Amino acid sequence: MTPQKFSPGRTGILDDKVGDLVIEDSGRFRVHSDIYVNQEIFGLEMTRIFESTWVYVAHESMIPNPGDYCTATIGRQPVIVSRDDDGQIHVLFNRCAHRGSVVCREERGHASTFRCPYHGWMYRNDGSLIGAAQRSGYPEDFGEWGLRLAKVPRVQSYRGLVFASVADDGESLMERLAGVRWYIDAWCDRSPQGEVTVPAGAHRYEYPGNWKMQMENGVDGYHGNYVHESFAHILERSGERNATDITRARNRVGSRNFAKGLHHGDGLLEREDGMLGTYDTRSVPEYREQIAEAYGRERMEEILTQRNIFIFPNLYLFESHIRVIRPVAVDKTYVEVYPTTLVGAGAEFNKARLREHQRFFGPASFGQPDDIEIFVCAQTGVNVDAMPWMELSRGMAREYVNELGETVSHSTDENPQRAMYREWRKWMTSEEGLR
Amino acid sequence: MTSTKQTWQERAELQLAAQEVLYREARLLDERRFDEWLDLFTDDGVYSLPITLSDDPREPALIRDSKAGMEERVFRLTKTLAHAQNPPSRTQHDVTNIEVGDLRDGQLEVFCNQTVHEMRTGDVFHVGLAEPRLLTARCRYLFVPDSGWRIKEKTCLLIDREYPIYNLTFIF
Ligand code: FES
Ligand SMILES: [Fe+2]
Repeated sequence: MTPQKFSPGRTGILDDKVGDLVIEDSGRFRVHSDIYVNQEIFGLEMTRIFESTWVYVAHESMIPNPGDYCTATIGRQPVIVSRDDDGQIHVLFNRCAHRGSVVCREERGHASTFRCPYHGWMYRNDGSLIGAAQRSGYPEDFGEWGLRLAKVPRVQSYRGLVFASVADDGESLMERLAGVRWYIDAWCDRSPQGEVTVPAGAHRYEYPGNWKMQMENGVDGYHGNYVHESFAHILERSGERNATDITRARNRVGSRNFAKGLHHGDGLLEREDGMLGTYDTRSVPEYREQIAEAYGRERMEEILTQRNIFIFPNLYLFESHIRVIRPVAVDKTYVEVYPTTLVGAGAEFNKARLREHQRFFGPASFGQPDDIEIFVCAQTGVNVDAMPWMELSRGMAREYVNELGETVSHSTDENPQRAMYREWRKWMTSEEGLR
Repeated sequence: MTSTKQTWQERAELQLAAQEVLYREARLLDERRFDEWLDLFTDDGVYSLPITLSDDPREPALIRDSKAGMEERVFRLTKTLAHAQNPPSRTQHDVTNIEVGDLRDGQLEVFCNQTVHEMRTGDVFHVGLAEPRLLTARCRYLFVPDSGWRIKEKTCLLIDREYPIYNLTFIF
C-alpha cells in the first residue's frame, strides 16, 4: 500500500495577503513556498492568471485545413480550437449549452459539426447551434435564446502561435507580445521560409509537482552544471564535447551568455550558437548559407543565437521545440513538448535536429527527466515551514536594464524568474485578475 | 499470424527458443545486468518506443535507439549521475502472449505483451518515490536465429505512448 505523502495545501493564506508572497527589497528577491503547495493559491492562479491573461492554446499547423480541430484547456476550462469551413480559427468552450456535457472528446480530428453525446444537440465548428433534438419541446422563440458553444472572447495568432484570452477586454495580443516579439520572430526565422510546423506526435510528461517549477526552470541557466552533469558526460564519452568545457562555457562572463527578464513576465536565456555542445549550426554550413541568403549575414547571427524563450504563463519556445505547461492541480502538472520542423531547411537537417532533440528532451531522454526529478525533489522540500522562502536574488547586484527596458544579466542569474514573479504578483493582486 | 510453411512442431520449437531469449532479457533488465542486455542485440539492432505509428521521420518517438544509442543509455544508467535514476528504478518485466510470426530472410518476427512493474526506491515519504507504477506495451521483436538468437529489433508500443508519462528513464 502506498503510504500517505505530505498532503498538499497548507491553507489560510488570506486573499488580501497574496501579494506578500513575493517580497522584493534592496538586493534580495524572495517568494514564499506556499505558492507551490497551497490549494487556494492554485485556484486563484487559475482564475486570476490563466483565465485572465493571454495564454497559448495551439499551433496553427496542428489544424492546417478547414474542419480540423484540436482541444486544449484554458486554466481549468476545456476548449476546442477549430478551423471553420472558411479557414477561420475559433476557440470554443467545450461545454454543451444544454446541460454541460463536453461535445468533443478527441484531442485532434476533423469535423464540420460537433454532436453532444447527452441529448444530441448539434453545433457547427464555429460554435453555432444547428439544432436541438426533438425541437417541439421548446417554445417558438428558442432560436433567439442565444444558445451556442460559447466563444472564448479573444483569439489571435502571431506567426502560427494561437493565443486566447477569457477576459472580454484588455490589451491586444500585439501589445502583450510587444517586448518578446523580436525573439519570436528570430525563433521562427530559424526556418529559411520563416515557417515552423509541429508533427502529429509530441512528448508529454507529467510530474507530481507544481507548474511553476517548470516555469522557473526553462530559463534557469544556473542548474545546468549540476542537474545535467549526466548529459555532459554523455557528450564527453561520445567525443562531442569535453565535460569541463561545458561547465566553463556556462560559467563564462563577457561573451554572449545572458539571461534576460522582459516585461509581462517573459524572459529568456541567450547563448552563443553551439555553446553547450548541441545544436551547433556551425557544423551545418549549408543550413547557415540558407539562413544567410534568406535574411542576410548580420541577421543570421541574431537568428542562430541559441535561446530558451518563456512567454508568461504557459509557453516556452526552445530552439528545437514548443513547450506548453498545463497545470492540473497544485501538485500535478502536464507538460507537452512539440518538436518543430523548420520549413525549407531540408528533410535531413530536420531529421538530425529531431534526433538530437530526442537525446535530451522527453520522458525517456538523457536530459529533461533530470530536471523533472528536481521539480519533484523541490515539491517535497517546500513543505518545510521553518525556511519558507525561495531565494531568487542571484545577480541583482550585477544586472542592468538595457535601452529596451530588458533586465540583462549573466545566464546563471535569476532575473528572468524575478520578471515572472513580478508579473505573477501583478495578476494575483490586480483588479484585472480579480474580475 | 502463422506461417503456412511451418508445421506446428516447428513453430513450437521457434516459440520456445524465442521465449527463452525474452525471459532472459527480462531477467537481465530486472537484475540490472545492462551490459549483458546489450549483448542480446545484433550490432545493427534497434530498440524503439514509438509515439505514433507513422513512418514519417519528422515524428518523434519516446525512444529510437541504434546500438550506439542503447550503449549510451546504459552508460548513462551505470556510469553517470542521472538524477531521474537516483535512487534507481526497481523493475519487474512480465512477458506474456508470445506468438511466433513469419520467418523471412533469416529473421523471425515474434509478438508478445510486456508489463513492467516499476518503482523508485528511496525515502517513502518523498513525492515520486516508493510508488509502484505499471507500464504496459504490445511488443514486436525481430530475432536472427542463426546469429545465436540475437535481437535485431525490439519495438514496444506503450498503451499510453502519446499521453503524459512521468519517468521512463529505466529500460522498458
Ligand atoms: S447536455 Fe448536451 S444535449 Fe443535453
Ligand atoms: Fe535543465
